[in-house]
Amino acid sequence: MFNNYKLNTYVMRALIYLILAILVIITITPIWLLIVNATRSTVQIQQGIAIIPSTHALENYNILLGRGLNLIQGFTNSLFLAVASTLVTVYFSMLTAYGLVVYHFKGRVAFNNFIVVLVMIPTQLSIIGFYQYMSKLGLTDNYAALILPLIANASAVFFGRQYFESMVMYDLIDAARIDGASELGIFHKIMMPLAVPGAVTMGIFAFVSSWNNFFTPFIMISSKEKYTLPMLVQTLRGDVYRTEYGSIYLGLAFTVVPIIIIYAIFSRYIVSGIALGAVKE
Amino acid sequence: MKRLSYILSVLVALSMLLAACGTPAVNEAPAAATDAPAMTEVPAATDAPASTEKTVLNVWSFTNEINTMTVAFEGKHPDVDVKYTLIPMTNGEYQTKLKAALGTADAPDVIALEAAFVKEYVESDDILADISDLIPAAEAAKTYPSVLGVGTNNGVLKALSYQATPGALFYRRSLAKEYFGTDDPAEIQALLADLDKFTAAAEVIKEKSGGNTYMVGSSGDFQNPFFSNRAQPWIVDETLVVDPMVEKYIETAKLFRDNGYEAQASQWGEGWFAGMNDSLVDAEGAPKQVFSYFLPTWGLPYVLAPNAKSADGAHDTSGDWGVITGPLPYQWGGTWMGAVQGTPNLELAKEFITFATIDEENLTNWATGVYTNEFLKAIDPSIPDDQKQAAGDFVSSQVVVEKITASFDDSDLSKFLGGQNSYGGFAAAAPSVNSELMTGSDDAIQRALNDPIAQYLNGEGTIDDLWATWKDALRVEFPDLTIN
Amino acid sequence: MNLANLKRNYYGYLFLAPFVIAFLIFGLYPIYNTVALSFTDTTIMSKTSHFVGFKNFERLFADDIFMTAVKNTWLIWILNFIPQLGIAMLLSIWFTNSRLNIKGVGIWRTIFYLPNLLVPAAVAALFFSLFSYYGPVNQFVVRAGFIPEALQFLQDATIVRVLVVFIQWWMWFGQTIIILMAGMTSIPIPLYEAAMVDGATSSQMFNRITLPLLKPILIYVFVTSLVGGMQMFDIPYLLTDGRGSPRSSILTNNILMYLKFSSSKGHIGAASSVGVLIFVMTSLCALAIFYFLRDRDQQSQ
Repeated sequence: MFNNYKLNTYVMRALIYLILAILVIITITPIWLLIVNATRSTVQIQQGIAIIPSTHALENYNILLGRGLNLIQGFTNSLFLAVASTLVTVYFSMLTAYGLVVYHFKGRVAFNNFIVVLVMIPTQLSIIGFYQYMSKLGLTDNYAALILPLIANASAVFFGRQYFESMVMYDLIDAARIDGASELGIFHKIMMPLAVPGAVTMGIFAFVSSWNNFFTPFIMISSKEKYTLPMLVQTLRGDVYRTEYGSIYLGLAFTVVPIIIIYAIFSRYIVSGIALGAVKE
Repeated sequence: MKRLSYILSVLVALSMLLAACGTPAVNEAPAAATDAPAMTEVPAATDAPASTEKTVLNVWSFTNEINTMTVAFEGKHPDVDVKYTLIPMTNGEYQTKLKAALGTADAPDVIALEAAFVKEYVESDDILADISDLIPAAEAAKTYPSVLGVGTNNGVLKALSYQATPGALFYRRSLAKEYFGTDDPAEIQALLADLDKFTAAAEVIKEKSGGNTYMVGSSGDFQNPFFSNRAQPWIVDETLVVDPMVEKYIETAKLFRDNGYEAQASQWGEGWFAGMNDSLVDAEGAPKQVFSYFLPTWGLPYVLAPNAKSADGAHDTSGDWGVITGPLPYQWGGTWMGAVQGTPNLELAKEFITFATIDEENLTNWATGVYTNEFLKAIDPSIPDDQKQAAGDFVSSQVVVEKITASFDDSDLSKFLGGQNSYGGFAAAAPSVNSELMTGSDDAIQRALNDPIAQYLNGEGTIDDLWATWKDALRVEFPDLTIN
Repeated sequence: MNLANLKRNYYGYLFLAPFVIAFLIFGLYPIYNTVALSFTDTTIMSKTSHFVGFKNFERLFADDIFMTAVKNTWLIWILNFIPQLGIAMLLSIWFTNSRLNIKGVGIWRTIFYLPNLLVPAAVAALFFSLFSYYGPVNQFVVRAGFIPEALQFLQDATIVRVLVVFIQWWMWFGQTIIILMAGMTSIPIPLYEAAMVDGATSSQMFNRITLPLLKPILIYVFVTSLVGGMQMFDIPYLLTDGRGSPRSSILTNNILMYLKFSSSKGHIGAASSVGVLIFVMTSLCALAIFYFLRDRDQQSQ
């Protein structure tokens, strides 16, 4: 029986690695093709697909610069916007979600349903109305119009709520209350550290979402100095008749690298700290 | 607790109030750029500090092309600071932003409008300012009628362009010699002078090449020429009109597909570009050739010339092309400019539009490549390194065109055409282009036709299916239209 | 409930306050605007507009194309979601299983997440290129003898649907893995240890411990995927001509909305009615999900 167990495990593992390898090929191939395109010239791209990189990366880079795109400024703008959006989203959504899970107050169920319902609202159309509204508030061309609304991010609250529901430990909370901690204190000092996997997950998604979003910023932001990196790359598509595809792909590659780095740094925190044994038996 | 709910209700009321102020659906009067509702702060983007030096003119566009002109304009008007904003239109950002900003304090003064949607804006009464007092100047510059036609609605001029974009037909000289015995443009034009001759020539090419040379890349290539030559526009008296030319187009497309006169290389696809440099191969690897391409003025420097060399350098068709008017005159693309209604800088906006689209010196410089990067940097050192305008753009003023055509005799583009003066070719085609039929709905109507036609050409369904599918699609997008 | 509990529960309001305030300031108006517009015939190109009651909605239901859009959206979503959840779940289980001890979980997970970081426009452009008539896929399948002559892949309704489903799956399954793993690793290990001591098998542990404790997260995945699926826009829009071609096979709800919104006059009133209906439909389905998956024995503390 012991031998069977080990053999089973080995066979399973081999099978799993094989499946993983196949999935990796399926996942990576399109990405590889896009990266290869970043090294090709526009003419090459227009005339077909290639698997092997070409030599025009530097040329594409020069075209990017020649457009007067201040990539560094775009990058710092993106970074600021994404970091601020992430912090705002994570903090306030976890706060709200915690409030919804732990406290049983009048209107709680109604509010829960309300949050879920908010998640379902298609926002595509409301951008024009939103712009005109922000214009009246004087918040156009201002990052605040992109960041502040995230305090009320229904989708993130929804995630936070589901997450807290699955891991909140009332005994811990009660213990802390007995020790005399304040409610807000419990949230900040006890539950949030335990909720790090959920918070980091939410944070990564919020960061990526903010980083890649260029449509809304295009509508809300007008000054070129405030353009984010994806926006700058998109302006390369501006030339209707002679789009420089090579440099667009290179710009897209630049845009992706920072989020991969952020993800690589933070993904380890997605694993729970529960394993550290927070609850003393 | 009570206080909290009190605060909440105040906030709700406040929001509702702001919402009511902002609802576009209920507003009667357009919120002019200088109006501001009493309770908000007013950053009026178009106002410049009244006391200090320069007046600010806000120009929005979707390419960086016009930026060259704004710099040149600043050179002539040192007291004006033109703020140029580029918003791409690939995913509709430009149009959406325009629609959002027009009517608010953030609206620009001058906007660029592409051919696909310019008519929408010109036809609307509420968006573009009346610039009819520029007509005399335009007439003096002999602006091509097609350009004026697009920018005019009910006799009111609202938009002008610095370009004219007549269409032409580019053909491969070597193939022409092989199959027709000559590559002289005049003779080829005679051979392809009308649709029937064009179709007959397609058959000749197919026979003589054993099916290895196609007349055109795809039937989509000649859609524009057909549609530009209808007798009636798409919409008359709120009713959809299907001109006989449309039926003829579909007939011809079917003929070309069934007889193998076209390569099924859709425009802007890999095959289409490959055909330009003779590197087209079918799925089995057999080489194929494309005899001709319908392209407008800008197609030569931006589409044909760059792609005449294959990516691996093995093929090069430069010098092997000729240009003629082709069987049907047509128009394709172009960028117009208009002034936004309600802008406080209307006079300045009109001045800028005049400079950009009518002024002889500007247009001459634009077309002959005077606006090099160095020239522009001398006026404004902060512009990017690739901001320049190469020679060759076909401008909208016949006066200028006649003046400068000869200067293109020895240009690179002419060498590309085997010595034929490209500018002269377009100049011949420009006056006969008809833009009277253009409506703002054309783009959507024509696009809705593409897939039904594709299915029909593939053999999926009858022609009646085609019409039915298309009309159903139109009913979705044009609820006010009568469709029979 | 004693008084201390009662008073403490009021803290809920405090925690909610920032959300509520921000929503009232930023979120309320756009919603109100969209709903209000759906009852008018407002167009963007003109400033006049009239209240038309339910006419927009009536027209939608009378239109075949609305049912087509709904059908397509559901079809594409279901075909994409089931494999997505299935594979993501499978992988998550494998990755968190200490017995299997798969190495390099972090790397695998990162790779599978990468597609989610790409701009849909680039992905769509790539696939468009790959499957075009003179593109590499045609060259490959013809020369390898799979088909006799080149196909217009992007003009075939089924193939295009499959492509959209594949791309959506490809872009999102990595993210689903991350969410599921975040949930799975939050389940206290002692629970599994106790179960193993009691002699539970793998599948028993999965069904009795993992699944139930994962339920809130699963609900989240389900609902957000549903919402995203009902509003699927980018890929179907960018892959073909923006009209759901061929033959409206990938015309989704949001594309219909966009068509109404972007056609010449810009019928934003009509487009808003599509938005409202999408919302109603999604809400009903989501509430159904909640109802069926609710904890029947949940007790409040």
